[in-house]
Amino acid sequence: MPTVSRSRTATTTYLYVYDEFIQDRRYEKEVLKIENRLTDLGLAGKIARIGLFKRADELIREEVQRGLKTVVVVGNDATIRKVLDVVADEGVAFGIIPLGPENSLAQLLGIPEGVAACDVLSARIVETIDCGIVNGKRFVSGFSIENTDAEITCEGNYRVTPQEKGSIDVVNLSAVSMSDPRDGRLDAVIRVMHRSGGWMSRRRLGETSLPLRSLAIRSVQPLTAHADGVAFESNRFDISVEPLALRVITGKGRQF
Amino acid sequence: MFNRHESGDQEAPHNPNETIIAQGVKVEGDFVSEGDVVIEGEVTGNVKTRQHLRVGGAAHINADVSAQAAVIAGEVRGNLTIGESLELLETSVVHGDIEARILSVAPGAKINGRLTMDSDGGERGKGKKSEPPSDATA
Repeated sequence: MPTVSRSRTATTTYLYVYDEFIQDRRYEKEVLKIENRLTDLGLAGKIARIGLFKRADELIREEVQRGLKTVVVVGNDATIRKVLDVVADEGVAFGIIPLGPENSLAQLLGIPEGVAACDVLSARIVETIDCGIVNGKRFVSGFSIENTDAEITCEGNYRVTPQEKGSIDVVNLSAVSMSDPRDGRLDAVIRVMHRSGGWMSRRRLGETSLPLRSLAIRSVQPLTAHADGVAFESNRFDISVEPLALRVITGKGRQF
Repeated sequence: MFNRHESGDQEAPHNPNETIIAQGVKVEGDFVSEGDVVIEGEVTGNVKTRQHLRVGGAAHINADVSAQAAVIAGEVRGNLTIGESLELLETSVVHGDIEARILSVAPGAKINGRLTMDSDGGERGKGKKSEPPSDATA
């Protein structure tokens, strides 16, 4: 078991944040393996369990004041969303031990699931990457809206209006695009079906791609958007990039 | 021409610094890019890039255009200021004045405007100009 610091003043180098669902019995064996491996690697640290503690962000801030250097999330994409803002604000290194479903961010960062992730933490390849911000909340991978013809204002200079309903993706880090999360830009991709000739012509997919530092999406009706896979609703999305905001531990198989 | 961005379900990776305005969208305002630009859709306002510009056959541009180099297959209504080479393909239509160092005009291309070709880029716009505006079809 990793050592849990008892002292209120002791320095914690590593803080492991367990999501609530990790406490389910089905993850018990894998968690035990992870804890043993971390001890073997000399990476043991304090454990914070979301759901039992007051709030993960408050706990992280307290530990940073005591010298915390690295926060490691044990969970999935949703767990990362819960701590992303405080980790970026405090400038501590960020690691992931993926467990459970929907772990696309860990895949993009080249981190294998379960106990194998401990060796990635040990190798400690730290990359500093950009974060996207939508309505004041950060995201790592991307933001998307489906089935919309909402107007997009780009960097305050020009407007892009889809002629028909389509999708809008704002990508920071992706396996399918060549987007570089260290270039200080987000890649906005607007996909719209159109007819290239008359009304008899075949409908085709047009893919508009804009490297941007900021954009705003406005709609009369509220739209459902996803940021790092997490859904939320609004009729106004203000999106920008925060260059080199996150120090993240990556594996050799990272997608950038 | 230039239709690699508009067909198929497969997403073709592209240069992340390249801006693509595909068919199906309309752009209005001052469009400024630091990288290469491909325009297949509609643009109204101004277009400016320090790199290369490609205007596809289906594109309609109602804007003054400034670029380092350009290849045009569509319609441009506005002045073209090109730092180096401008290539007008056979389907291109330009209603506006053109400034370029090197010009290539394919048979069938249409130019309605004044043409200035100055070998000194620093003096472009101040040097002597060609004949008065004329309507020409190459």
